Amino acid sequence: MLDLAHQAVEAASKAGADYADARFVSEETESLSVKNQEMEGIDRSLSQGVGIRVLAGGYWGFAATARATPEDLDRTAELAVGIARAAARLPMEPVTLAAVEPVKAEWGTAVQEDPFAVSLEEKVALLMEASRRMQQVKGLSFGEASLDFYRRRTSFASTEGAAIDQTVVHSSGGIEATAISDGEMQKRSFPNSFRGHLRAAGYEHIRTLGLTEEAERVAAEAVDLVAAKDCPSEVTTLVLDSNQVILQMHESVGHPLELDRVLKMEEAYAGTSFVGLGDRGKLRYGSDKVTIVMDTTIAGGVGTFGFDDEGVPAQRVTLIENGVFRNFISSRETAPVVGLTSAGAMRADGWQNLPLIRMTNINLEPGEGTLAEIIGDTQDGIFMTTNTSWSIDDKRVNFQFGCEAAWRIKDGKLTEMYKNPNYNGITTEFWGSCDAVGGSEEWVLWGTPNCGKGQPGQVARVGHGAAPARFRNVRVGVR
Amino acid sequence: MPGLIGPDEVRAVAEAALDLPGADGVEVLFFHEWGGLTRFARSSIHQSTWREDTGIRIRVIAGGRVGVASSNDFSKEGARRVVASALELAEVAAPDPQFPGLAPRSDTPDKPGAFHEATAETNPERRAEGVAGLVGQVEDGFHAAGAFETTAVEVALANTEGQFCYAPYSQATVSTVISGGQGGSGAADATAGRIDEVDPEEVGRRAFLKARDGQSPRDIKPGHYEVVLEPMAVDTLVAFLAYMGFSGRAIHEGRSPFTGKEGQQVAAPSIDIYDDALSALSLGLPFDFEGTPKRRFDLIEKGVFRGGVYDRRSAKMAGRESTGHALPPPNPDGAFPLNLFLGTGDATLEDMVAATTHGLLVTKFHYSNVVHPIETTITGMTRDGTWLIENGQVAHPVKNLRFTQSILEALSNVEMIGRESALVSEFFFSASRVPALKVSSFNFTSVSDH
Repeated sequence: MLDLAHQAVEAASKAGADYADARFVSEETESLSVKNQEMEGIDRSLSQGVGIRVLAGGYWGFAATARATPEDLDRTAELAVGIARAAARLPMEPVTLAAVEPVKAEWGTAVQEDPFAVSLEEKVALLMEASRRMQQVKGLSFGEASLDFYRRRTSFASTEGAAIDQTVVHSSGGIEATAISDGEMQKRSFPNSFRGHLRAAGYEHIRTLGLTEEAERVAAEAVDLVAAKDCPSEVTTLVLDSNQVILQMHESVGHPLELDRVLKMEEAYAGTSFVGLGDRGKLRYGSDKVTIVMDTTIAGGVGTFGFDDEGVPAQRVTLIENGVFRNFISSRETAPVVGLTSAGAMRADGWQNLPLIRMTNINLEPGEGTLAEIIGDTQDGIFMTTNTSWSIDDKRVNFQFGCEAAWRIKDGKLTEMYKNPNYNGITTEFWGSCDAVGGSEEWVLWGTPNCGKGQPGQVARVGHGAAPARFRNVRVGVR
Repeated sequence: MPGLIGPDEVRAVAEAALDLPGADGVEVLFFHEWGGLTRFARSSIHQSTWREDTGIRIRVIAGGRVGVASSNDFSKEGARRVVASALELAEVAAPDPQFPGLAPRSDTPDKPGAFHEATAETNPERRAEGVAGLVGQVEDGFHAAGAFETTAVEVALANTEGQFCYAPYSQATVSTVISGGQGGSGAADATAGRIDEVDPEEVGRRAFLKARDGQSPRDIKPGHYEVVLEPMAVDTLVAFLAYMGFSGRAIHEGRSPFTGKEGQQVAAPSIDIYDDALSALSLGLPFDFEGTPKRRFDLIEKGVFRGGVYDRRSAKMAGRESTGHALPPPNPDGAFPLNLFLGTGDATLEDMVAATTHGLLVTKFHYSNVVHPIETTITGMTRDGTWLIENGQVAHPVKNLRFTQSILEALSNVEMIGRESALVSEFFFSASRVPALKVSSFNFTSVSDH
């Protein structure tokens, strides 16, 4: 595969590129879905091809093809150069790339048990049993269970001499219980919503999840939710479970710190950012409890790799330190604008898309204490868990999130359950109100499979680690 | 530039999979798509791409069990590998008692003019020239961002029941956001099946005028307002209503706001929502992704809910017939209407503004999401052009607001409907044609700072 990437780079040079890189990518997936002990889907996919990125005269061009014959590589490389030359129709400051040491390397996710080698019979049996246990709960309408596996092999070569082979493996599993009664529909998911807990790991990850062990509890909570009261509308103390803290961080910290947004390169589609180029070291983003890092080196993160799609090595970058904004999420093109080297965050969705700045693993550093201790230290408030809905404005200022379930905290204890909980806020005010972050014993590295960005639209898998956290004076129950 | 592969070659590759020993039925869904996108920001072309891909997605039925596999290797060998993989999956799957069998042989309606060769063959120079024309509408102190995309696709379906259908089509889309000055921005877009039916300069001019007229937006308090929603904003309501409610399977399972509502008034009597892939005013294929021919289907007629859309499996579950709205398999969520229309009325945008006492004129919504699916409540932000209307006049631009609003409640409060409609593309294969609406009350729950 690396040979094909080298051929593509050579073809681009011959066509007139000043710089070129090429990625041969092969992506395999396997997905299984069960609903009420009936098979809803069992499918596999394979997609492979070559994406060629060039700089010609200071402009980018990109072309991709699924056909990798020498003639197709020549034709695609010529097209990429032609696209770059066409871009010169409008003036632009020529692109310059931050320096990176070109390396020859191999890297792969640490996998104990190849998820594609585990028998389909075992996977189906696991999902059927989880679904059966959910269905045992009276009042449950649907018990669903799913498994998803992903393997991506990438061979990267550049005119600078880089030659990198990488293999990434992800595994995910989850259950979802739905209860419907009297025009009300409620869901509970485990370990997380949107098809479960996604990790960079093999099938050993699935064996740790406890999908069957938790099935009846999850189903019972869904049934209980139907009869619960709506989350009241008030301004109160809000404790978020780690699986909601990560979505809050994703939307209101990760995206606004992407340097391409700050530079208005994403303005027309996903929007820009309230953060300015001169805000490093000055902007008070949150309270001193809030330290957030981008760590592409951490084991198990679905944003973990050896090198990004520009050949920049994985690294750990502090984004927010004790509440103060420190660094952007950047690329070779954007980092020099603020006098930095690339943070190594360029990632492409498959072979057919141009790499963009994407979050890798964005993590809230742990504080102290368990979730029980945070709740025990709260006189009155609301605890929310498991994301259902997210929305934020085009500069990442005003947000609103919904969760599956909530409970009233009264005198340090969880009391009444509430359905349809949501909350609303302003990014820096919200993070500024954070007065507790749970300790490492509560810290979980989650994965989100569906981060959208770019035109044509691309989807990225993003890792997020967090412990539960507490926020003061938050508006909940927005209606 | 690639060209059409054509039905004969597709049929030859499909036949390599259709005669699989050990299978009771085989269905081959074929895609070939290609195109370029010229992306611009800060009035320069900064990311331009081109790609071509093929795909075969094969569904195998064996002993009442179903397996699906796919690959982008479009060759007879590739098809044989994929069908063998699908059979392997089917053999371990649990039997599917709801599987209704593959679509029978039937004639597929024509959709003349859906494929425009010049659009499919658009080169990067032509797109760059269009972008330059758009940027040329922007005055000093402002800048443009957006994309000009031209794509083509051919889709075919073959199965062991003898069904074979094939159709190509093309699409051109220009979209932009123009911003600058003292704050404020404007958005506009255009989508059509032919490149000569989109005018980048007109799109740029429309967005620039919004940006110019949206300068220095003022603070505004949240609350209930009358609203005049332009087509891009209306599309958000229609698309989310479809997502939450129009699937026949969701209706059958009680997960839809329309469960038990057939024949009941759910919106104002002026509201018609229907799906019509065959209309010349829409983009779309004349068959669905399991080979059922398309036809017009009325979802809401004079405010009365008429019924949801079904694929073959969900139709069997509900004791109905497929309406021709299957998505590619496996599709556990069931059918979806990809070519929606909201029927036009007789008002102009100016009429709607003139009829508004105290309200908001909204260009588009941003990053909307579901709050309560059964109540059809969603939340989202206004973006790229929001103005206060006072006593029938546009008074001044305002900062962006967050809405939290039931869609069916809004459609029940529609007072005026635009006589012109616009085609708004949510994603490939899907585009809605909708007019502007005047709604008597819309719930804005908070505000932003810009």
